[in-house]
Amino acid sequence: MFDRDVVVVGGGPAGIAAATALSQRGFDVELVDQRAQLGGAIYRQPIAGARPVKQSRFAARRWQHLHAAIQHAAVTYRFSSVFVGVDGHGNTLIEDRNQGRLVSVRARAVVIAVGAVEKVIPRPGWDLPGVVTAGGLQVMMKETGTAPQGRVLLAGNGPLLIAVAAQMAALGNAPVAIIESGNPMAINGNGLGLLPHAELLADALGYLSGIVRHRISWRRGTELIALDRAGSQLAAELRHADGRRETLLIDQVALHDGIRSNNFGLPADQAGTTTMPFITRAGDCREALGAIASQLDGMRAAADVAAYLSRKPNDAAASLDGIARQRAAQAVLATMFAPIAGPPRLTALPDETIVCRCERRRLQDLKLLLGGTGALSGREIKHNGRFTMGACQGRFCADNSARIACELNPGSPLVASDLTGSRWPVRPLPISALLGDEPAHHDQSARDQ
Amino acid sequence: MVSTSSLSVIIIGCGIVGASTAYFLARAGVQVEILDAIEPAAQATGSADGAVSVASKRPGPVMNAALAGIALYRELAVQGLFEGAFKSRSTFVLASSPVEREVLEAHAAVLRSVGVRVEMLTSTDLRARFAPLSDAVIMGLEVFDEGHAIGYQIVHRLLSAAPVNVRRNCRVESFLRDGNGRVTGVVTNHGPMLADAVVVASGNGSADLLGIPDVLIARKGQLLVTERAPALNAAMPGAIMSGRYLISKGMQAGTALASDRGYGTVVDPLATGQFLIGGTREDSGEKATNDAEAVAEVLRRAVEMVPGLAGVRLLRAFAGIRTAVIDSKPLIGRVPDADNVYVATGFEGDGICLGPVTGKAISQLVLDRSVDLDLAPFSPARFAQLGVAA
Amino acid sequence: MTERSFLWNDQPIAFRDGESIAAALAAANVRDLGPDLLGQPARYFCGIGACQACLVSVDGVLREACLTPARAGLAITPAGARHV
Ligand SMILES: Cc1cc2nc3c(=O)[nH]c(=O)nc-3n(C[C@H](O)[C@@H](O)[C@H](O)COP(=O)(O)OP(=O)(O)OC[C@H]3O[C@@H](n4cnc5c(N)ncnc54)[C@H](O)[C@@H]3O)c2cc1C
Ligand SMILES: Cc1cc2nc3c(=O)[nH]c(=O)nc-3n(C[C@H](O)[C@H](O)[C@H](O)COP(=O)(O)OP(=O)(O)OC[C@H]3O[C@@H](n4cnc5c(N)ncnc54)[C@H](O)[C@@H]3O)c2cc1C
Ligand code: FES
Repeated sequence: MFDRDVVVVGGGPAGIAAATALSQRGFDVELVDQRAQLGGAIYRQPIAGARPVKQSRFAARRWQHLHAAIQHAAVTYRFSSVFVGVDGHGNTLIEDRNQGRLVSVRARAVVIAVGAVEKVIPRPGWDLPGVVTAGGLQVMMKETGTAPQGRVLLAGNGPLLIAVAAQMAALGNAPVAIIESGNPMAINGNGLGLLPHAELLADALGYLSGIVRHRISWRRGTELIALDRAGSQLAAELRHADGRRETLLIDQVALHDGIRSNNFGLPADQAGTTTMPFITRAGDCREALGAIASQLDGMRAAADVAAYLSRKPNDAAASLDGIARQRAAQAVLATMFAPIAGPPRLTALPDETIVCRCERRRLQDLKLLLGGTGALSGREIKHNGRFTMGACQGRFCADNSARIACELNPGSPLVASDLTGSRWPVRPLPISALLGDEPAHHDQSARDQ
Repeated sequence: MVSTSSLSVIIIGCGIVGASTAYFLARAGVQVEILDAIEPAAQATGSADGAVSVASKRPGPVMNAALAGIALYRELAVQGLFEGAFKSRSTFVLASSPVEREVLEAHAAVLRSVGVRVEMLTSTDLRARFAPLSDAVIMGLEVFDEGHAIGYQIVHRLLSAAPVNVRRNCRVESFLRDGNGRVTGVVTNHGPMLADAVVVASGNGSADLLGIPDVLIARKGQLLVTERAPALNAAMPGAIMSGRYLISKGMQAGTALASDRGYGTVVDPLATGQFLIGGTREDSGEKATNDAEAVAEVLRRAVEMVPGLAGVRLLRAFAGIRTAVIDSKPLIGRVPDADNVYVATGFEGDGICLGPVTGKAISQLVLDRSVDLDLAPFSPARFAQLGVAA
Repeated sequence: MTERSFLWNDQPIAFRDGESIAAALAAANVRDLGPDLLGQPARYFCGIGACQACLVSVDGVLREACLTPARAGLAITPAGARHV
């Protein structure tokens, strides 16, 4: 009746840790990833011959351990394959792009470890070509071993911006500047909270020294407030802490305002039944706490699945302590990087700012919708305003739409999942794949894992 | 008689029927409050296809009501209320086999006999009008003057246009009655609420409220929405429906083609450039979930008729539960054992089409005015067990 | 067209083995990925298949440029330029 003990979705640290541990315990594990290689967001692997991107010593070592361990485990891989959900009959659905069809797997348990997505606060012009996410810029750098071309500006909030800047500089094209809305260097003792977290501290110091060495201008307390086309370039309008405005001409801008779990549309975590698999999220897709916590949470998920499958007591306790420590560390980072002007007020953006790019819905559309009959539910905002209705299924607008709704109607708070709900396909699915006759894209690079 | 401005009415259920009733009552000056266990368009109305159509109907009271329903949509679109939310278009019923051709030919004659404008199209005619159709289609029937409306959009329009108070997350558990047994309001999970009259427009929830679990049947349907495909969408002059759909709707009882999933293919090109593709008609009300088997089958049948759909991506799948009545006619009218309680439910797969016209009729009943629609065939009194005393 | 190239709007674009379509286009300085299904310019953005903004037509199939490995001989066009 079952095809597999466990399907693990995602080949990042969480998925690798879960798949390895479950395979070591003797379970039959299939690991699915949309890419042709393991690695996930943080450990995106370089193509053959590419120069590896500068990474901290700790991170490099963690990857070596993860990779070595899974190589010794008997995991079955399904690469270039997109998990699209678990259907009402309990089938795990995977668009296998090597085979060109939708594959339906009956698994006893499913570990969903699809990572995080970056938060991007809308700004006028954020939808233009040449505007990328900082993580998007970074994973491409990791893949190709080359820095992005031209004058590049990094803007937003959080430690990832410094890491990307240092990595760009090491590859020979330092960013024009880092625009940071917080001021983590303010002498208020916040940073001391990082002291117990040696690895994160070492990472931070490593990247900071890169910034200093390459004389990258790190403009703290500054915000990128608008982007516009300027010939073949982009004009980036900045607002400094003292209110001063400045315009920079650049070729590309990378935005980043933190990360959040990529849990859009996913089936709920659940205990298995005779028809439904046991389902658990793992890693940043459960709670976005970074790579160390993700790896631990992959172990935790493996322990939960093993306890379910073998009906033995759970031994996840050790992972939980470590995850709690990472939660504390992330809280310290969040305090350090808190925007000095306070959390951004999205309703103060210009009315024509695009909020939902897929459906081209603007702030004014949401204001109009919510100005009428009073507080609407997330589902009503989605249906009647089309926010989160497009191809990204809310990954880049659900948070922002919910926040705007909260600013307009503080009495009826909403969160992203109120708009997005839970249903498959969790990603758009070619109809040809459902019919089993999608043109197959065989992929040689997948062979050597 | 009470003057309308002091009359207060509670409507249980904020689907298209409740919202339409509220709209017409509020416009007449009645104080209206809609109570919904969840929120507006939370059930069938929010997960329906939305054909405003008689293309698949047999002559009879439901057909007559549907024709009045279409006319009202048209009127409200002209008035502005439904402008842009009602897409006027033809329905093309297509035959891919000799059996279906026979069904269609008979059906065309029937539609004509009640004054519906139709035209038979040969495969050559079809190819000229409807480039995206596949060669598997051997003939078609164009049914004119039909349309499409998305249930939740209509509800939103109705609620935004009239002073109606909607209480979300407010579940009605029973009726409130005075010492004489007269209904004076409802008991909700937030406590009792008083009203001069109560309208039960609660879809599947009506079964418990009116004590008719054996009269109403839940019938699940799965529907799909694709991504935009602007060129393909523009090349489709209307919606298509497979001849098999008529069969799944029970038009040809005894024909062996209908499966237990009740597959019947409908493809509606939406104003956004997307496609709405249906669907199933399953005798189940258990779970509003989608399964890959049914979704793939629905798509396979759609692609059989419109091969270009294979190159489009599926964006969303959803399922809704229709409320059917065992004798296939809705329940609309006054509840026999109470003179101030009304019911309007059991529209199965036609409630988007029938919702506004039903809401108008109920408002006329409540206001004791003459009713445009002939409600006699839909009388709740035909089921003896139906009542508030349950 | 060399062995190691694909066509973007009929122009050959060189790529390295294992590279995504998006990476190859970026290396060729192509940032505007043409009209998407709504007519707005598509672009590489998130790099992880999440934003769907890099959707292109790869031999007639809609694919995320950031997820799809480049292969010799592919004919790639903007998603919105397809004749569907
Ligand atoms: C673009 C980006 C760059 C980042 N860079 C860094 C960094 O440099 N340093 C750092 O500390 N943190 C970084 N992070 C944070 C990151 O989330 C890490 O904390 C870590 O990679 C999380 O591990 P994970 O296993 O939970 O998820 P991930 O590492 O994100 O792994 C998820 C995996 O799931 C796959 N996947 C996603 N959806 C599907 C699907 N539907 N079907 C099949 N496969 C799917 C992805 O291809 C990926 O391989 C980054 C995040 C993002 C989004
Ligand atoms: C898959 C599918 C396809 C369809 N296609 C079409 C079509 O093409 N054309 C067409 O005309 N029709 C179609 N329909 C039918 C149409 O959707 C329904 O007939 C119509 O929406 C019914 O509206 P309603 O207001 O009666 O019920 P509903 O929309 O179900 O509304 C009932 C409301 O009552 C609330 N409620 C229930 N119990 C209680 C309680 N005790 N207290 C408070 N509130 C309560 C519910 O929360 C709900 O919001 C389709 C339906 C489905 C499921
Ligand atoms: S860049 Fe976001 S999906 Fe490809």
